[in-house]
Amino acid sequence: MLCSGATLSSGARDMQRSAFSDAGRGACACFDVLHPVVSLVYWLVLLLVGMLSFQPVVTALFFAISLAQGALIRGGREVARSLAWQLPLVAVIAVVNPLFSASGSTELFRIGFRAVYAESLLYGACMGFALVGMLITFANAARVLSADKVMQLFGGVAPVVGLMLSMTMKLVPQLVRQGRVIDSAQRACTSARPHRTLGRRERMRDAFRLSSVLLGWSMEDSLTTADAMKARGWGAAKRRTAYVRERFRTADALVLVALLIVAAAAALMCWQVCRAFSFYPVVSGIEPVWYCVPFALYGALPFLWVAGVKTKEHAL
Amino acid sequence: MSSELALELREFCFSYPEPPDDQDGSSDLRKGAGERLETAGVGPINWCVSHGEFHVLTGGTGSGKTTLLRSCKPSIAPVGRRSGDLLVLGQPIEHLSCFEAAARIGYVAQSPESQMVCDTVWREMAFGLENVGVAPDVMHRRVAEVAHFFGIEPWFRRRVDELSGGQRQVLALASTLALRPSVLLLDEPTSQLDPIAEKTFLHALFRVNRELGMTVVVATHSPEAMLPYATHLAHLADGRVCVRRVEGSVSEGSRGAFGNCPETACTAAASAVSAPLAATRVVVATHADADASDVATTHAVGVTTHTDVASRAVSTCADAIICRDVYMRYDQSDFVLRGLDLRVLEGSVHALIGGNGCGKTTLLHTVAHIVRPVRGRVENRLHDSQALLPQNPKALFVCDTVLDELREWQRSAGYSDAAIDKMLASIGLTHRVSAHPYDLSGGQQQLLALAKLLLTNPSLLLLDEPTKGLDAPTKLLVATLIAKRARSGATVLLATHDLSFAARIADTITLLFDGQNACTQPAADFFSDNLFYCPPVDELARLWDARTAAAAVADGTEDHAVADGAEDHTAADGVEDRAAAADNAQVVEEGYRLAEEHAATCERVSMCGCAGNREKERP
Repeated sequence: MLCSGATLSSGARDMQRSAFSDAGRGACACFDVLHPVVSLVYWLVLLLVGMLSFQPVVTALFFAISLAQGALIRGGREVARSLAWQLPLVAVIAVVNPLFSASGSTELFRIGFRAVYAESLLYGACMGFALVGMLITFANAARVLSADKVMQLFGGVAPVVGLMLSMTMKLVPQLVRQGRVIDSAQRACTSARPHRTLGRRERMRDAFRLSSVLLGWSMEDSLTTADAMKARGWGAAKRRTAYVRERFRTADALVLVALLIVAAAAALMCWQVCRAFSFYPVVSGIEPVWYCVPFALYGALPFLWVAGVKTKEHAL
Repeated sequence: MSSELALELREFCFSYPEPPDDQDGSSDLRKGAGERLETAGVGPINWCVSHGEFHVLTGGTGSGKTTLLRSCKPSIAPVGRRSGDLLVLGQPIEHLSCFEAAARIGYVAQSPESQMVCDTVWREMAFGLENVGVAPDVMHRRVAEVAHFFGIEPWFRRRVDELSGGQRQVLALASTLALRPSVLLLDEPTSQLDPIAEKTFLHALFRVNRELGMTVVVATHSPEAMLPYATHLAHLADGRVCVRRVEGSVSEGSRGAFGNCPETACTAAASAVSAPLAATRVVVATHADADASDVATTHAVGVTTHTDVASRAVSTCADAIICRDVYMRYDQSDFVLRGLDLRVLEGSVHALIGGNGCGKTTLLHTVAHIVRPVRGRVENRLHDSQALLPQNPKALFVCDTVLDELREWQRSAGYSDAAIDKMLASIGLTHRVSAHPYDLSGGQQQLLALAKLLLTNPSLLLLDEPTKGLDAPTKLLVATLIAKRARSGATVLLATHDLSFAARIADTITLLFDGQNACTQPAADFFSDNLFYCPPVDELARLWDARTAAAAVADGTEDHAVADGAEDHTAADGVEDRAAAADNAQVVEEGYRLAEEHAATCERVSMCGCAGNREKERP
């Protein structure tokens, strides 16, 4: 890293990038202390409550939580960059909704025969923010819960499914790499085919050729892989066991219980808030704001966790 | 289990269900991955391997090494007729349960990449244990133990596709050993590895054998590197195994000077290889007696054969390729090339050598204009007529038969049917035209890919590890084809780990180090000045020298022939081509016997070969 940065100006950009991802990685690493099941439950509950509680205040809170967690886990720069396309998406959904559902009572203006109502606009905005909040939360969860960890969870419950996932994860980069090799080998042989710009038809034929070579090659490889599996006793025992790297311990259980208590309170309150609320015909039934406190607390849990882990580290 | 023998074959015969018939195109009949159609069968074999021994199983291509090894492992045994007895650990192989067979007999295959099953190192190591249903606690201990033994801990959590070829092969060995087999069978485990990775792997294997007392059987076509570790050498020829004890292997402590001079070690090993085969060998004897300077002279002889030709071409020509201050990297990773300068003269054979990941392949790709350098300039005057042989020949195969493969570029490149026939004859594949390229052996695939490129008459030939995984006769054939192309004026730039090959084929050698050109020198100068980069005296060296010597002997007869035929060059060319084809075919067939039948070969070659010699004399 250091050498390339010194030799080229583009290296400087790299260093910046890695500095940012380092900031996120520090927080991410704090979740490695937990068993993946705890993380999985946390993100599932957050997504479910955030998506199902369709009320302007809760949705705004959900969006704010997703942004803050994104900044914690992935770094502010990355979240801001993705907002560049996410906010316009919210605007589009907000504007399009009134055009399709002409409900509400507060008429803002008319386009031809169709009236545009404020309630409908608010509904659309809510929908947009809920969607974007969900996307950001997914990205955050993916960073904390790497594919590797999810597969470990499967490995414990259904070893064969875990193995299949693992084999797929190996196959995809392998196919991409082989595809590149074939493509470059074919392109490099200019003595065989005069070098000129290809028409669309020829390009398509080349792409087809590439995929057929790739298919043949990977089928051949898969025979070897199958032999390697048989040689190492695939199907020898009735039931496969699984190598489990992380164990579920009492500490994990305690964190999980605490998490579930907050989750239950948050879900209950949000349900109450949503039940009382209605968009149409007029926006009504707004409950006191403190009803949202449990959900806010739930969203703040990762911050508390990271702060806790870091304090403990520094104390040593 | 009570038996002293780990592996016992008594009058064991195996034959495939029906003889393959290539002529009617039924070649897609498969016998299992890795098993090629040339092997008719093996046996009758009498072969005993005691506990704790290290057997190296040699034999030419298609002699049935793979068939024999796979027969000892029930789950991947080839389908066919068998007779006689095959006992593993004192039990007939048929009586072993699937479970026992998996746990007691380990099998490691050739390809480091495709024998990986899972995506991460730790999963791969646990795979076999999971299959046989080992309890999690026991599994942890076994994985930990094996990972520690092989020093896998630093990369235990890595993804498999981030590993080097050598690491993958060590991982394949480790994950097999996690099952704690009593017998370990390996089928050409190092043929895809570079020399350094090969040494690391063999050392690991040696420790497994000596420290853990595991019985090891390795099939290989280049036994030189393994012999210092082996206790026994088994040679498979004509379906029979002949075993000989290896004297003075490392275990017996008689090789004190091993570390000082790789030459002597290799020579000793080389003589050990040929020892069980026959009695007198002129070439081997010379090497065995030779001290370092003698060896250097021998190399110089090998090199001059081409330097003559090259100096002729080179003196008249300019630079074909110029690289100036080239920086190159992939996907924002570290730089592979850092300010590389290189000049390749037109008409020369230029070899790039250097360790793993020093940027040889990247440089070839940069020269071929497949990738663009981040900084610096690459001029390739021959870019419009270049051909690139990738490391894996499969990347070039598009068609269903060998013949179609060679015809693929016929229209666009404009070569005749006669040229195809001639090429087929020279690579010895005339009888395999209707076979699927994937059904050929690794060596034949490489030859086919090279032939496919050569047919297009490239002015610039870029070769990436052209001898990787090949046996010596095939290497010799590859070298012959490349040398022939170079003689007709083409420029050749090749990346290789094979120093013996580079010393014999290249005019100029460039050592790549740290992404830069550490030195560029004529081949003879380069090798006379090195401590570590010395070409070993291997099977290829012996075949090559035998041929050179034969050519020298034939020189007398040849002089007359040239004088007689000088007026008619076209006729001479025809004869020459046929002679070369016959010579090449002979190399393929004779292969391992060539070295021992040195004198006889001299006569044969003087009658029909000497193509190279005659070309040399042309003005």
